[in-house]
Amino acid sequence: MKKTLVLILAVLAATGAAFAQAAPPVVQGKVSLSGAWALYPMAVKWAEEFRKIHPQVQIDVQAGGAGKGLTDALTGMVDIGLVSRDIQPAEVAKGAFPLAVTKDGVVATISAKNPLMAAIKSKGLTRAAFIDIWITGKPLTWGQALGTPDKQPVRVFTRSDACGAAETWAAFLGKRQEDLGGVGVYGDPGLADAARRDPLAIGYNNINFAYDAKTLKPIEGLEIVPIDLDGNGRIDPAESIYATRDDITTAIAGNKYPSPPARDLYFVTKGKPANPAVVAFIKWVLAEGQAFVPETGYIPLAKDKLAAGLARLTGK
Amino acid sequence: MRLISFLPGLLVVLILFGLYYKSRGILGLKPLTSLLFGSEWKPLKGSFGFFPFILGTFWVTLTAMILAVPVSLLTAIYLSEYAPRSVRGAAKSFVDLLSGIPSVVFGVWGVLMVVPFVAKLAGWLGTYSSGYSVLSGAVVLAIMVFPTIILVCLEVFAAVPRDLRDASLALGATRWETVKHVVLRKGAPGVFAAVVLGFSRAFGETMAVLMVVGNMAQVPKSLFDSAYPLPALIANNYGEMMSVPLYDSALMLAALVLLLVVLVFNLGARITLTRIERRVE
Repeated sequence: MKKTLVLILAVLAATGAAFAQAAPPVVQGKVSLSGAWALYPMAVKWAEEFRKIHPQVQIDVQAGGAGKGLTDALTGMVDIGLVSRDIQPAEVAKGAFPLAVTKDGVVATISAKNPLMAAIKSKGLTRAAFIDIWITGKPLTWGQALGTPDKQPVRVFTRSDACGAAETWAAFLGKRQEDLGGVGVYGDPGLADAARRDPLAIGYNNINFAYDAKTLKPIEGLEIVPIDLDGNGRIDPAESIYATRDDITTAIAGNKYPSPPARDLYFVTKGKPANPAVVAFIKWVLAEGQAFVPETGYIPLAKDKLAAGLARLTGK
Repeated sequence: MRLISFLPGLLVVLILFGLYYKSRGILGLKPLTSLLFGSEWKPLKGSFGFFPFILGTFWVTLTAMILAVPVSLLTAIYLSEYAPRSVRGAAKSFVDLLSGIPSVVFGVWGVLMVVPFVAKLAGWLGTYSSGYSVLSGAVVLAIMVFPTIILVCLEVFAAVPRDLRDASLALGATRWETVKHVVLRKGAPGVFAAVVLGFSRAFGETMAVLMVVGNMAQVPKSLFDSAYPLPALIANNYGEMMSVPLYDSALMLAALVLLLVVLVFNLGARITLTRIERRVE
């Protein structure tokens, strides 16, 4: 009896050793991430999947806005900051090392109760109309925005917290977040709720907050404003890309939706990362991790962009 | 012992010094008057005007106190002088409960209930408001300040000797006359202190107000306009501190201004309090 046990143990030990040699070197350590709400669900998904392959790595993901992610990464509070807007030169000067990991977009949203829904759906709004709404700041009627005689006012909402969505939407209009007018509401869900409640309101949301993750349709009571890209005064079939989350993500991937408001989402580290666990995680995200991007509601980056990112990471 | 009792005071001085040290960057570049009275806030273009934020803080706090003081004072008088003991006990534990609710809960409640109500109210009065306004902030704040004022006032009234009330009633005064001429007069310094405590909380309250007040950097012209109090400015933009030059310095200055306002207010209150005490005695 004792002999068999010893034998089994010996066999187990031998196969174990053989496996250890065959498998890639075991990655262990801790990786901490914090930042943009827009990238948070994706980061959580990546962390889960990565832990299935490398159970020895502990990954801690926190949300709190793009600005917080960047500040945390630069002050060394976390290994990786999640940032949902372009990185400023001042931030690169402070040592920010950004790597684009995926894409999403920001869309203009209105209440489903908007009395002019038919006109908005058929005509859409041009970029110039959006600039009148958010930037110029003079009172505006829906008629003026749409080019119809309607006299009802546009009620403009924006984000109050420093965030990637506002920064990206402002970039689409050629400005920065501080230039956006309108009543400031805290957080993505807050802005969606404000736009949903007031029939004459307009706001903007990250795709993952404008669409329902289960039904893939715009969330109850909210509608997406189509953008009249060629400015011909109506929404052509090619501009009608907002029915479901899959439609808009396909359009962004095919460059049919302008960028911005479509945008890259970044992992930001302080300098080039050295911690092996962090490097392994980022490498995995840029390669195998991309497989999980569409199912989580994001848009995979182009192959050459991913390859360029990997090359920058490994320093070749 | 004496050293330890000095510590809290020392801490305030340290914080003041720290904030001043950090805000030197912007104080060195711009004259103080243009910072405090300028009304354009465009940090990326280098203009930092705090006037809308200072006035936003002022209006939200003042409106909140106008709503909160009469209600909480009358509640405290009723509970202390009129209510049966069982009602007093039950009401007191309710108020205690109210004071323990985290401010973000008040904020969410404000967004769901107060903001739509204020929007409707503006509609009835024939104007328009998104609901994200000075009034919404003040209502939420007033409810958060109730427990502080009510509980302190109850303690104050309980400390007024029973004999004084009996003497007044024996002379033929009604209950209300007794409250007016004896309880309130004797308790005046304490009531004043309760209001100041409430005010101090109201000034610095951040999260709940931020969520309902609309955060527009403009000087509010009516109760239905959006405002942007100082604490909300700091909380909203703290994350961007690293990216814009002078921004961290400007936010530290905002914190310094807030602290100074609270300090000056408390100091003024203390002086008034001593005067009232002297007069009552």
